[in-house]
Amino acid sequence: MATSDLFIHPSLAFIAAALILPFMPGKNGVWRKILLLLPPLIAIYAAFANAPGAYMKVAWLGQTLILGRVDSMSAIFVQVFSVMSLGGFIFALHVDDRPQQAAALLYVAGGLGCVLAGDYLTLFAFWELMALGSTFLVMLGRTRETVLAAFRYFLYHVLGGLFLLGGLVIRHRYTGSFEFGPIAAAGAGYYDWLILLGFCVNAAVVPLHAWLPDAYPRGTVSGSVFMCAYTTKTAVYVLMRGFAGWEILAAAGAVMAVYGVFYASMENNARRILSYHIVSQVGYMVAGIGVGTAMTINGAAAHAYAHILYKGLLFMTAGAVLYSAGTARLNELGGLAGRLPYVMILYMAAALSISGLPLFNGFISKTMTIAGAAEAHRTLVAAALEIAAVGTFISVGLKLPYFAFWGGKPLDMKRELKPIPANMYVAMAFLAALCLAQGLWPEMLYRFLPFPMEGTAVSPWLTAEQLRGLAAEDIVVYHPWALWNVLQALMLLGFSGLAFYLTRRVIVPHAGLNLDFDWFYRLTGRGVLGFVCRPAAFIDGFWTNVYQTAGLRLLKLSAMIAVFWDRWIIDGLVDNAAYGVRGLGRAGALLQNGRLQHYLGLMVVAISLILALVWYF
Amino acid sequence: MDEQKQARIDPTSPDPPTPLGRWLEHNRTPRRLELWRRAMFAALGLIVLVSLFATNAHPHFGADRYPFFWPAFGLLFGLGLVLFVKKIAQPLIKRPEDYYGDL
Repeated sequence: MATSDLFIHPSLAFIAAALILPFMPGKNGVWRKILLLLPPLIAIYAAFANAPGAYMKVAWLGQTLILGRVDSMSAIFVQVFSVMSLGGFIFALHVDDRPQQAAALLYVAGGLGCVLAGDYLTLFAFWELMALGSTFLVMLGRTRETVLAAFRYFLYHVLGGLFLLGGLVIRHRYTGSFEFGPIAAAGAGYYDWLILLGFCVNAAVVPLHAWLPDAYPRGTVSGSVFMCAYTTKTAVYVLMRGFAGWEILAAAGAVMAVYGVFYASMENNARRILSYHIVSQVGYMVAGIGVGTAMTINGAAAHAYAHILYKGLLFMTAGAVLYSAGTARLNELGGLAGRLPYVMILYMAAALSISGLPLFNGFISKTMTIAGAAEAHRTLVAAALEIAAVGTFISVGLKLPYFAFWGGKPLDMKRELKPIPANMYVAMAFLAALCLAQGLWPEMLYRFLPFPMEGTAVSPWLTAEQLRGLAAEDIVVYHPWALWNVLQALMLLGFSGLAFYLTRRVIVPHAGLNLDFDWFYRLTGRGVLGFVCRPAAFIDGFWTNVYQTAGLRLLKLSAMIAVFWDRWIIDGLVDNAAYGVRGLGRAGALLQNGRLQHYLGLMVVAISLILALVWYF
Repeated sequence: MDEQKQARIDPTSPDPPTPLGRWLEHNRTPRRLELWRRAMFAALGLIVLVSLFATNAHPHFGADRYPFFWPAFGLLFGLGLVLFVKKIAQPLIKRPEDYYGDL
């Protein structure tokens, strides 16, 4: 860590690149690629160079906004967000679509801004920037399906944002401050619950989660790679910052972990399976935050880091299959291992990571959360997380690759495969290498965790009450590579694998839609249509009728009067003046016949008339 | 056997499998599959065998101090999950793909 006071806000690099992008015309050339890779590199540098402290304090409307709060908790999220943005932009380097690139840049800027925000107003601004960017990452699929999904996604996130906005405004009325810090569960106001609700929308807490498996499978190939990393993990960060130790989150996390696995086991679309697994894996983090000991919070942060890497890789490899084969539906895939062997191997690296197999990073992060929950005597939570681990290995570790790459079908030589660009392979290999390295050398990840791994868990962001609650678990000691941990993981996963082997003909995926909570969202939507929009449309229609029968006639009458006035009064005046001028002109022209004697005669007549007038008057 | 492989991998294909791809396909011949199956069971047996000699320093659930707890946990919850999801849950909530009409 550098000791200088120089602070680099990584979001600014991304926003600047997004602003320059429209002025880079032409094809997706070298300069544009450099422009896209520069912000991630700056962000990675900033993640390591920024010293802890509060930077970029802005006075606004009598409030002090803090745009850069760097401490042990935000630093690890900034680091992983930056690393993932590098992977994501390498993966998307071949995409010649400036709107999509701009959306991704702004989206990442939003995520990083949220993590560094020290107050609710700054947080809210970046929160909405993220919602906007991600909406376009879905919409820019540019089909009817993706545009509709983007609108649903946007509506839902606007709703979530409104909970947050309402909560923070009311909170300000009561506390007089926008400061974003830990909130004790006991004595929390209803505004705190509103804020929690807003956070839970983005964290995809069941039953507020259904936007995720609706939108993510419909994002663009590279868009979903970005989205799977930032929205939910930003929510994990803000929950960790504000709501650590909230009992309800422990239960919610356990439910999420199992619920996501259930749906993933029946889904057919590869990217939707992965989406449900975001719900499940974020469940581990939310549960860790809810349990709220130093060990489970460290576990949640470690799992967020590991999850961003392997989930990014999962969406990359599933996206590569979609890009190459044209579909992500498992019932249409199969027999591709021989033709996409490297994609398969890279997929398996991620799949074994998410399953928590020793060697990969899921093993060193997931087990920490579970062990932490068990040590805090939250047996039910720990058991739910273990059950979810079984389901994770079965659905993502075995079912998805089996039916995508083999499926009991012979090698598919007929299918036309679009060649996968080299940059996609580079990005996938980059993340796979990180997943493996973190698994082998846990210290690589552990040294950045919010709490020191061995020592007293004193942290500036926990309230005194929460700290007292930590007493028993103050010392965080966890060695993932202990023999028993390895054996336990191998037993659990090995025999889950056997369960898959025995039921491989039962779990065969079929085309279809599995009802989820979005059925209720859509019902609400239809309700609003029925009770608000339709009556409004009826009143509008009625008014149109009234207008057509009465209003239109009045309009016609007034038009007739206006025409009369215009034609006979205005035009009459103007026209008659013109006629008069024209008549005089004609008379003058008749007189000008070029004969000198006539002019002399006229002159005599005129002088006589003038003299006569002078004499008489 | 060779003829079968010839039929599966067409060398005149415009997009022939890489050596790695060919090796993966080679492992799908019935004889190889049988070998893999045996290797899987051997590995599972080995894991359980080793676990009999290792001790769980921190049993969390009580029953997990006994051997065979985790193999049974993985197998039973795995089977239960798949059967529950595919046989009970999915038939109840499955709808046609374009149920909402937004495809």
